Amino acid sequence: MEITTKRTLNVLLILSWIIFVGVCVEAGGFIVNAFFALVNPAVVKHLWHEADLSALLQYDVWYFFAEMLLMSVVAVLKAWLFYLIIKIMHDKNFNLVQPFNKEVRRFIFNIACITFMIGLFSWWGVKYTDWLVGQGVAMPDVQYLRLGGADVWLFMSVTLFVIGQIFKRGVEIQAENELTI
Amino acid sequence: MPIIVNLDVMMAKRKMSLNELSEKVDLTLANLSILKTGKAKAIRFSTLEAICQALDCQPGDLLEYSKE
Repeated sequence: MEITTKRTLNVLLILSWIIFVGVCVEAGGFIVNAFFALVNPAVVKHLWHEADLSALLQYDVWYFFAEMLLMSVVAVLKAWLFYLIIKIMHDKNFNLVQPFNKEVRRFIFNIACITFMIGLFSWWGVKYTDWLVGQGVAMPDVQYLRLGGADVWLFMSVTLFVIGQIFKRGVEIQAENELTI
Repeated sequence: MPIIVNLDVMMAKRKMSLNELSEKVDLTLANLSILKTGKAKAIRFSTLEAICQALDCQPGDLLEYSKE
């Protein structure tokens, strides 16, 4: 079976859908947990447990809220990133015959910005968690808090910004080529 | 752009329609229209040669430089 671009994109689309659903569940779980932990802490033990932050909740409610906020922001940004990927793949603007268009360029710029924000919030979250550990609070590993890999996200965003600039030039060249008679 | 395409002037002088020119130079009406309206970014020598041949003119008759 020949691996064509269309087939590869279809596989990537299915993967993106699976990851999108996963990160949506994760983001929803964090937000619901944070909400009930602040409103009715007794219910939390019956909810989905990705990371045990009970020690932090007992230490200080606002520190707990800040940590959950950072985790939720990162999870929501990841969901948004995969939403944009799915959207561009479903969109008619994603044309492989003429791939250099303004929509794709805007998409690359948007995902570069989102990955930069994910990297920034993850880095912030890791620093905050380290600080809390320094305060003597028993915290789970950053991997369980879904805050790991900030440097990778930042590297990815820089790479995407560079690709975006190359795409910008590609759009100009394609427009010039189309208007060459 | 300071380069002006005088294709419409030459077509009028030779009393040739866009359809007729399109058939003679083997270019689509859409592409000839882009050229005629000055939206084109570049022109190939082969296209210029074909238009000059069809309209019996020189490249200088079709293209003009003007300071903006």
